[in-house]
Amino acid sequence: MSFLAPLFLLLAGAAAVPLLLHLLRRNVTTRVEFPAARYLQRAEQEHSRSLRLRNLLLMLLRVLLVLALALAAAQPFVAGLGTGHGATALAVVLDNSLSTTAVDDGVPLFDRLRRAARAMLLAAAPGDRLWLVTADGRLRSGTRQALLAEVDGLAPLVGGGDLPLALRRATAAVQSAALPARVVAIASDGQRTSWARAVRTGVSTTVYGPGSEPPANRFVTTAVAEPSRWTPRGTLHARVSTPDSTGYRIVLGDRTIARGAVGRDDAIELRVAPFERGWQAGRVEIEPDAFPADDVRHFAVWIGPAPAVSSTPSAGPFVTTGLSVLVADGRVSAGSEIRIASADAAGSLPALIMPPIDAVRMGAANRELARLGIGWRFGPVDRTGATVKGARLDGVRVTERYRLIREGTSPDDTLATAGGAPWIVAGAGYVLVGSRLDPSSTDLPVRAAFIPWLADVLSLRLGAPPGERGAPIVAAPGAPITLLTGIDAFENAAGVRRGVDDGRALAPAERGVWFMLRRGRRVGAVVVDSPVDESVLERWSAEALASRLAGGNGRATTSPDRWIRDTYASGTRRPAVTPLLALALLLIAAEAAAVRSSRSSTVA
Amino acid sequence: MASGRYRRVIAFARYLTVDMESHALRADLHDPAALANLGHIEVAARWIVDGFLSGLHRSPRKGFSVEFADYRPYQPGDDLRYVDWKIAARADRWVVKQYEEETNLRATLVLDVSRSMEWRGAPAAQRLTKLAYAEQLVAALALLLLRQRDAVGLIRFDDVVRTSIPPRARTTQWRRLVGALTERAGGRASDLATALGQAARLVTRRGMVLLVSDLLVDVDAVLPALRGLRTAGHDITVFHVMDPAERHFRLTTEAQYEDPETRLAVPAAGADVRAAYDATVDTVVREWRDALGALGAGYELVLTDQAYAIPLRRAFDLRQRRP
Repeated sequence: MSFLAPLFLLLAGAAAVPLLLHLLRRNVTTRVEFPAARYLQRAEQEHSRSLRLRNLLLMLLRVLLVLALALAAAQPFVAGLGTGHGATALAVVLDNSLSTTAVDDGVPLFDRLRRAARAMLLAAAPGDRLWLVTADGRLRSGTRQALLAEVDGLAPLVGGGDLPLALRRATAAVQSAALPARVVAIASDGQRTSWARAVRTGVSTTVYGPGSEPPANRFVTTAVAEPSRWTPRGTLHARVSTPDSTGYRIVLGDRTIARGAVGRDDAIELRVAPFERGWQAGRVEIEPDAFPADDVRHFAVWIGPAPAVSSTPSAGPFVTTGLSVLVADGRVSAGSEIRIASADAAGSLPALIMPPIDAVRMGAANRELARLGIGWRFGPVDRTGATVKGARLDGVRVTERYRLIREGTSPDDTLATAGGAPWIVAGAGYVLVGSRLDPSSTDLPVRAAFIPWLADVLSLRLGAPPGERGAPIVAAPGAPITLLTGIDAFENAAGVRRGVDDGRALAPAERGVWFMLRRGRRVGAVVVDSPVDESVLERWSAEALASRLAGGNGRATTSPDRWIRDTYASGTRRPAVTPLLALALLLIAAEAAAVRSSRSSTVA
Repeated sequence: MASGRYRRVIAFARYLTVDMESHALRADLHDPAALANLGHIEVAARWIVDGFLSGLHRSPRKGFSVEFADYRPYQPGDDLRYVDWKIAARADRWVVKQYEEETNLRATLVLDVSRSMEWRGAPAAQRLTKLAYAEQLVAALALLLLRQRDAVGLIRFDDVVRTSIPPRARTTQWRRLVGALTERAGGRASDLATALGQAARLVTRRGMVLLVSDLLVDVDAVLPALRGLRTAGHDITVFHVMDPAERHFRLTTEAQYEDPETRLAVPAAGADVRAAYDATVDTVVREWRDALGALGAGYELVLTDQAYAIPLRRAFDLRQRRP
């Protein structure tokens, strides 16, 4: 038995009133003058037995009446009353994550889950409250028919969604309902990566799972263009997870640039110098299998001429040497497009700028920074050792640095910090380093990361036109991203466009390469692919999943019919208000009858 | 200028006079409490008796209180109804029949004025106390009997005899009785047996004893005295006065119900004992009726919300059976 309004059970305390009246009536102190008291005494003596029995009966009837009314006010639900199931707050969590598109026994698993969810909703009674929650956490409430229409219109997500979030929302929904039976019914493939976190629902939970082993899955785990700006040469790194060898194909634009076979744990590395220019979309494909959604992985790359870079003697010998290496590799070319110099000799932007050799030139350096419109200044020198944190730079040691002090409201684009303070900052057309790139100030020039870092700075930060992004953004479908300013649309390689909502910087929901358009010109790219985790199809069994989610409150099955029975089993408790009110009426009638019958019997 | 109360009395008397002719309303059928508000016990008694007598189908003078005595010669002005026409036809002379009034009935009214009689089960405006009702009834009975030239006496008692007026048929007797009725009661317990003994001593000749009491005494304690009266040849009628709230228990209070005379306190919840109480009172009434019936005495249960015509009729019928 459970109660909708258990506080009303306190009214049951009123049952003590007739009991106390019955027990304490001999202690009444009120005196009433009544000359015929002798008749009263005689009446009580002559009818003492019947009066006692009658009073006892009346007391019992009144106590029961109060109890029945208190119980009715508490709105109890009792098992075993009537047939069917009682009013149930039911949230159906339908897993439509990408992994459910895996073909199982000839049909996509999602179709089976959807059929089970439909059957669950069809079995609902008019008094039930229903919700439908999908893997992306979207909560829908409505009538049975409305939710059935929602189920029919559902499509699998192109990503993994957030099933723990969906479960939390489903739990909150059913807990908000003022119904005695609250159940979360989950139809899921039980993918381990999706349910990696154990979420406790706290309510009765039923789980329907496929009950079969996942199909063997081959998938492309990575497809990355190195560097992200090819000038025009570059390398595509790809990796395929496969239990055996499989064929692959690499496409750039509309052109297949490579084919081959890849074995288990083999990496694919393709050096190319394509003739295409500008932002290009590419993909790595493998042979299709039972889970086709991850057989393709996309990449984007900018292809164009190498930036022309020149350095001044003030940049130091290590920079000059590194630059010559990059020129020799074709990553950059010699020219005056980008300058590498100390601040006092920078002259123009774009430039990689560092402190002057001679500290006495610091004033001239800061004036030059101001002249170039750079919102940072060199501050006092700091010779305390510090460790650097930043992309490619983690672990670099700094022994001498000038503090970088921000002037005004310059954009805060800190590429690396040393001792928690900005050490390398960037802005439109400049990258400013707080130390000279010399072993006396930092060990960066003598580290292996120096040349790649320098290449990235020159090609991505300084080589890209102002306002453009040098590297593509990699995101899951619909995931939040940081857009460049002024982006007004996405466009894929087929020319399909998607608008950009300024209020919601989200990646497109469809997989593929989406170019960011600013006034019709491609200024960057977003690569939308499903998370690699979604390709790992290992599953929890339904029992294990139910145990992880609901502990002792969980029930698991691989049969849709059993799932439906288990779900509504907790709702077999039916409201007992009407029977209790009927009982109260019966008690009132019995009390009246007892009074009348005792009168007629004593008179007779 | 007449007071408001006096104006009301006059208006009611006029109303009764008019209404008595139409027999639509009589004071003996009027609500006792309302009637008591309109006039003194003496005035009210006259209204009651007048109303009662007007309801009879024949004059009591023609019926039983006038006996033939002798003839005398007719004189002008004599009522022709009393001319003996048979003698006139046979002897050709007119004679008039003469009658002699009887005064041989001696009635004693025995009134219980104990503490228990001063109780009413409803507000004063709605109901009389048992004592007030009984006094009015006794006054009306006395007047009715006196008008029939009977000798009427009165005994008032509680734990002792408070008033003892020997039966007389004189015209001043009525005033004397009313004066005694208006005396304050003692407000003590009842000693009915002593009062009945006193009545036996007052009525030496065979006569009629009318007892008006709430009978809150033991039957067995009273029966010897009643039996003595009956043995002496007296006709006895007992008017058992009860408040309607005593006859049918309608109090719902959970309380100690206390007898003001004996201080007997009985704890009870009114609603619970109602049925048993009513049944007990039925039994008590039956016991009194049976016991008195066995003695040849009359018994009349009188409720204080009843019109006076009912007990008066009872007394009138009893008187009719007397020679």
